[in-house]
Amino acid sequence: MSIQLRQVCKNFDGFSLHQVSLDIEPGDYFVILGPSGAGKTLILELLAGLLTPDSGEISGVTPGSIGFIYQDYMLFPHLNVSENVGYGLKIRKTGKEKTAQIVQNLLERNGIAHLADREIANLSGGEKQRVAIARAMAISPRLLLLDEPTAALDRSARINTRATFIDLHRQTGATFIHVTHDFEEALALADKIAVLMDGRIVQWGKPEKVFNNPANKNVADFLGYRNVFGGPVKDGLLHLNGVSVAVPLEQSKLAYIAIRSDDIIISKEEIESSARNSLFGRVKKCIYKSSGVEVILDVGVDLAVDITRKSCREMAVCPGVPLWATFKVSSIKVFEH
Amino acid sequence: MKFRLIFSVLGFLLVLFIAIPILKLLISTNPDVLMETAKETEVYSSIFLTLRASLWATLAALFTGVPLAHFLARKRFRGKKIIEGIIDLPVIIPHTAAGIALLTVWGRNSLFFRVSGFNVMGTEVAVSLGMFFVSVPFLVNSVKEGFKLIDERFEKTAVTLGASRWKAFLTVSLPMVKKPLISGAIMMWGRGISEFGAVVILAYHPMTAPVLIFERFQNFGLKYALPVTALLVLISLAVFIIVRVFEDK
Repeated sequence: MSIQLRQVCKNFDGFSLHQVSLDIEPGDYFVILGPSGAGKTLILELLAGLLTPDSGEISGVTPGSIGFIYQDYMLFPHLNVSENVGYGLKIRKTGKEKTAQIVQNLLERNGIAHLADREIANLSGGEKQRVAIARAMAISPRLLLLDEPTAALDRSARINTRATFIDLHRQTGATFIHVTHDFEEALALADKIAVLMDGRIVQWGKPEKVFNNPANKNVADFLGYRNVFGGPVKDGLLHLNGVSVAVPLEQSKLAYIAIRSDDIIISKEEIESSARNSLFGRVKKCIYKSSGVEVILDVGVDLAVDITRKSCREMAVCPGVPLWATFKVSSIKVFEH
Repeated sequence: MKFRLIFSVLGFLLVLFIAIPILKLLISTNPDVLMETAKETEVYSSIFLTLRASLWATLAALFTGVPLAHFLARKRFRGKKIIEGIIDLPVIIPHTAAGIALLTVWGRNSLFFRVSGFNVMGTEVAVSLGMFFVSVPFLVNSVKEGFKLIDERFEKTAVTLGASRWKAFLTVSLPMVKKPLISGAIMMWGRGISEFGAVVILAYHPMTAPVLIFERFQNFGLKYALPVTALLVLISLAVFIIVRVFEDK
């Protein structure tokens, strides 16, 4: 049975949700993506039955079969590792022997058997996370709710954790609902994503579809589109600070456009091609990233362009260098102003 | 170095301010007289009554004050400051005034007496009532601060793992406030033991140790009040040290 939220509204502690509707298929890895303060945790707490909606309906969630992992894990500090993992079983009055057996099994599977008697205060961040996963899995949940579980981790631990969640999802076949503000994480994990902004679901669907077609300027901004500009469009041209950009829009009106930084090509000379936009500018700065180099080119407005380190080196791109930026009209997303 | 030295000296002065009168009290009491006094029925029964009545008050406060502390720590509502003000009030008002206020509710002319026919005044219950009234803020405030430090999501996590709200409270929140709870209970018990003003108005008899000290001082002078005072101080000190050691374990 799928999990459905229908027109759910909730005001709580300064956060609010407005008419949230979602369908989550059993076994899906569903990611709710949104900036902090958007109301992501509120959705999870409503799904877990910790809060009740002010209006609207939630169906398809069986109470008592839900695992919930908060960002800071919320391991009970007065219990040791084994006692934390066995908490849900103890509540269910599972016999002592069976509990011990399940706990031992979970500790081993999560590589923390050696920590069984350890106090929570003496665990590292990664160990705490594994204990939290083991504790949630002990009750064999059909639904696992993950509240920014990687936000407190460094980059490499975050990547390892993603792999852990993917494995866990595959092994258990449970439905995962994961909230995050990190769009890379959403792309890496999700079967489907929903973008939540200011308490509203603004877009949802397959991750690639959402990433390639942001619903509005704010979503584009949030999804990491580095080139988002607004201005008047006339005769198919957007006029920006003395620069004219050919856009896929016929009507004359105010509009926003978004161009992905990897959809732009840079060259030393102007390229003769089918691409309708070729803008001349000088390099303002080069930002080195793990994935390559982001070149900020001043063409009248600052244009961000992603290139590889090799291209950067071979083209001798550095501040002050004159370059051409070329991109196709079809790579431009247009939004209402 | 200078910083530490100044702080140590200032702190030490405070300790002396409290310790010197107590030490003076103890050394000016002859140990033989102290032993004799301890054997007096009136003395030991008043000391036991004091310890016991304050214990009842503290136990009653655990059942009512802990839920209130949890509520005040967790909920934001209109009028919360008023409730917190009411809880703090017994600390500020003169305790004789507290005794008189209690008299209007529990005394012979009260609705309680007319309905129940039970005269509370002059009983151990009255002693406990007086002690409860003046000392309960220590427990409520200590536990409230304890609950405030605990993230509500601990309880929520327990609920997602299948616990009822009750079970989550008993197995997660309550053990996590163990220290402020014990500490608040000790403070309340201790404050109850020392109460004079409210108790003397509600129950001159049965006589608690502070009332007995006052009576001996009033009727026979300092010399007769000293041994009882020293005894109460010694017993309180012993009990508190034992409880604090136990609390740390």
